[in-house]
Amino acid sequence: MSLAATYRLGTRLFWRDKAMLFASVITPVGLAVGMPLLMRHMTTGGVAAATSIFHGTLAILLSITAFMNIAVALTNRRDQLVLKRLRASELTDGQILTGQIASTATQTLAMIVVCAVAVRLAAGVPLPANPLAFLGVAAAGSAVLSLLGAAYTAAIPRAELAGVYTMPVFLVCGVSAGAMGPIPLPSWLREVLDLLPTTAVVDAVKTGDLAGPVLILTSWAMAGLVAIKLWFRWEPRRS
Amino acid sequence: MTAIQVNGLTRSHQGFEAVKGISFEVAEGEIFALLGRNGAGKTTTVEVLAGFGRADGGRVRVLGLDPHTDRAALRRRTGIMLQEAGFFPDLTVAQTVDTWRDFTAAPRPRDEALGLAGLTGRAATKVRQLSGGEKRRLDLALALLGRPEVLFLDEPTTGMDPEARSSTWDVVRGLAAQGTTILLTTHYLEEAQRLASTMAIMDEGEIVASGGMAETLAPRGGRVAFRLPAHVDPGDLPLPVTVEGGHAVCRAEDPDLASQTLLTWAAERGLRLAGLEVRTATLEDLFLDLQRSAR
Repeated sequence: MSLAATYRLGTRLFWRDKAMLFASVITPVGLAVGMPLLMRHMTTGGVAAATSIFHGTLAILLSITAFMNIAVALTNRRDQLVLKRLRASELTDGQILTGQIASTATQTLAMIVVCAVAVRLAAGVPLPANPLAFLGVAAAGSAVLSLLGAAYTAAIPRAELAGVYTMPVFLVCGVSAGAMGPIPLPSWLREVLDLLPTTAVVDAVKTGDLAGPVLILTSWAMAGLVAIKLWFRWEPRRS
Repeated sequence: MTAIQVNGLTRSHQGFEAVKGISFEVAEGEIFALLGRNGAGKTTTVEVLAGFGRADGGRVRVLGLDPHTDRAALRRRTGIMLQEAGFFPDLTVAQTVDTWRDFTAAPRPRDEALGLAGLTGRAATKVRQLSGGEKRRLDLALALLGRPEVLFLDEPTTGMDPEARSSTWDVVRGLAAQGTTILLTTHYLEEAQRLASTMAIMDEGEIVASGGMAETLAPRGGRVAFRLPAHVDPGDLPLPVTVEGGHAVCRAEDPDLASQTLLTWAAERGLRLAGLEVRTATLEDLFLDLQRSAR
């Protein structure tokens, strides 16, 4: 009951914050639909460029709509002592965070589905061959990136720095997944970046192979849970 | 029966010992005031009692439970009005209360909570448009939603106008009359006097005075000061005084009555008590008095 309440609250606040809507919805959806649309007549190595770039932009959606959105929202609420007030209610810490993570993950998954349909209609990007597997891996990716965004707040000293601190994550995830076009990378770096959760989702969607990506996502989820347990701060630092 | 037990509580922040081994008890249905200046350790104490922080030393029990390890169970039986906490600024007052009702197992109806806090007319106002005092009242409404057995009020009327402060006092008295145990912190001596039956005064993390409100404050309730007339020995005055920089200062439970006694005495002798000042004691007076007593 209370978990549902925090989920509803998270969803309500997601759609109310106009500044965040621009950053978390309009920008990533614009990129995820706009870039395939611009490249709809191009092919790269026999593959439609629109399809390839759309798969890459899934990393942008995950890193912005899930990771950055929840990191900024939770840091703001932490620094404005809203999290402290929530903890003064009957909610448990787990309910507060789980409701928020589930809400952010759901909005992200919805964005991914909307974009997949939009690029099918506007840019001829084929729908996933296995829709259930696509939905499953997109949902898992959304949940893991939301969880990691919550954990990452521990590294953000103040709310006004949240955007600056999350930007490198967005850039690395985007470059790694090919969302910014083919950028040549050293092989050792390629191997490291392939371990990112966003790259795992993109690889799963591209190849249909789920075993490796699921293992990577599970590892990141475990790391995120441990980080939250050890370092999550409910209040700003006193000094 | 005892609702709150604090025994030898210590608590430090980053090496600073904010609370240094304090002890007190609050009986069920009692209003207990924790008085002190800013930085005295009152909020740290309340935060430990409310389960936000673990006690570094000593033993703390609220309704027989450890507030930190039994926080989930205790939350259903306690209400907390924090000194500092934020709201969602874009929600209205009614939406905020409704949201918190969703978090509460058996909440009061929204209108009842708003009525208690005196916010009925502001239900449709966005939280960002509320004054500081109104936000405190919204804080009170949220603290009362679950009909708590124990209520923690940390500086409950700070920022309120006199009317709102008075109505908040009425609400607090009403809750106590229904059996709610209330621990309030305040730096307003008057607030403590009007509400509480027992109190403790904190200074630099320690309790420097405690007990029944009337007994603790009786000799320090107010003061009458005047320039000591020439050739008058302070020992000749009808009430005991201390002489501070040429002024005689009489501390009394009822400063009005003391001033009348002194004026009558002076009139009978054709003396004038120049610079006469009569006032109820402030917390600062109380601290000065306590420090003087300690010397």
